Amino acid sequence: MIRFARVSLGLLGVIVTSVGAALLLGLGVDNLVAAMVWLVAGVVVHDAVIGPLLIALGAAHPGGKRWAAPLIQAGIVLATVTVVAIPVLGRFGARTDNPTLLDRNYVAGWLSLAAITLGAAGIVWLRARRTRGGDDGSSPGR
Amino acid sequence: MSPQRLNDLIAKARSLPLPRESSFTSRLRSPAVAARVGVWLGVCFVLAFITGWLSHEAQDPNAWLALPTRPVWLYRATQGIHVLAGTAAIPLLLVKLWSVFPKLFASPPRRLRLVLIEILERGSVAVLVSSAIFQLTTGLLNAAAWYPWHFHFRGTHYALAWICVGALLVHVAIKLPIIRDALAADIDSALLDRDSIGGVPPLSRRTLTRSALLAAGVAVVATAGNTVPALRRVSVFAVRSGEGPQGIPINKTARAAGVVSLAQADDFALGITYGGRELSLTRDDLLAFTQRTHALPIACVEGWSAQGRWTGVRLRDLLDAVGAPRGRSVMVDSLQTEGPFRQTLLPAAFADDDLTLLALALNGTELTLDHGYPCRLIAPNRPGVLQTKWVSRLEVLA
Repeated sequence: MIRFARVSLGLLGVIVTSVGAALLLGLGVDNLVAAMVWLVAGVVVHDAVIGPLLIALGAAHPGGKRWAAPLIQAGIVLATVTVVAIPVLGRFGARTDNPTLLDRNYVAGWLSLAAITLGAAGIVWLRARRTRGGDDGSSPGR
Repeated sequence: MSPQRLNDLIAKARSLPLPRESSFTSRLRSPAVAARVGVWLGVCFVLAFITGWLSHEAQDPNAWLALPTRPVWLYRATQGIHVLAGTAAIPLLLVKLWSVFPKLFASPPRRLRLVLIEILERGSVAVLVSSAIFQLTTGLLNAAAWYPWHFHFRGTHYALAWICVGALLVHVAIKLPIIRDALAADIDSALLDRDSIGGVPPLSRRTLTRSALLAAGVAVVATAGNTVPALRRVSVFAVRSGEGPQGIPINKTARAAGVVSLAQADDFALGITYGGRELSLTRDDLLAFTQRTHALPIACVEGWSAQGRWTGVRLRDLLDAVGAPRGRSVMVDSLQTEGPFRQTLLPAAFADDDLTLLALALNGTELTLDHGYPCRLIAPNRPGVLQTKWVSRLEVLA
């Protein structure tokens, strides 16, 4: 049963990918080259910059401290949502003739998000401190 | 390449100063986390694929799928879901890639047959990761009106959606036994763990998975005000606040479209043709027709939308004026001299719909220049780019 599911999923996947490849090639060589730059750059930025950066962060994390868990949790939310906000924080698409586009104070928005996220982490830590006594003695991992 | 050379290459790769899979000791980088976050990521990708395909068809006048004119808010909903599913996928993809990062450094197997299988598997993962990052990045940037690339966005984003979803299906096919085992077992089970795992991480797998979902939810709430009015105040990263002249944001201004003087010309007249019959109507002539008011959304492909009360002439009344029968498509021309949407095709179902207007006013006041003065098209359930502004000519097709 699972073998049948795997084979059919795999075949369907190959067909769907081929449709996409045909569509992409149909847009011409110049378009393909321009797209390849972004296709490769995305992987390089992740594997050579973001990945190693997170390894370094993981090695430096404050393991064993009770505030570590809520802080890391807040960090995950804040960091990933900040990635989502890069285009609006930089206002890269802004146009002088169109004030209805990118018409918020995004830095103020980010600061309030950071305050809420870290504040929530603080509350979680305080509540954990009240309900749990003693250190949980966890050690860092990578 | 001979097996000997291949083995030499593998040996060389092994001696590079890179981490190995065994260098990663965290219990969090595990199939238990990857499978759970992956399920949600898959849901987002499938939602984005289906809604994206609908949007692509809606923009293509020769689509084999005739899109309905009801419900009027359908495109508003599907395109909102498209952009929000992609937005939610960004935190999920980052956590997913983090959880499987050690696999990137796994040593290749020593036997040639296994090497070939490994190359195929890694190749499919490379296509999946590359196209997934591409789709989410270009979609995110496009929604924020930022286009720093040289490829054709719509065509390329559409082609890569097929490649990405196809690679996803292949990936699920390859990993199905692991996914099944990981989801069947408790999240903290050591069943599928790598040998190198050691120590207690600062947070549990359950907490990590919940954090990824929480981040996805926060990303959605922080941007959904673009299309959900109730969230406007809390959507701190929405590309548009929802404000604008006459209560509606602008996508392309009259200045950007190069129509400022043409649209305000004293001798403006709308041309309507059907076969040999031709009619030329000034704005005052249009105002002499019965004026109707309908509440219709303007829903943009970038994922923002807003509801407006549009007043103008029912398009069908204008087509009747040149004696055009029902069931005909209409070519709509704008005063714009360039741009891919200066001319659009309005399928018959939309041309004949009672709600389709050639609008002259919005929310109670005369259309501003940026909203399409002297007159614009507004039809139910259509992508915003096809709601042609500064309409100059309507040609009923034979």
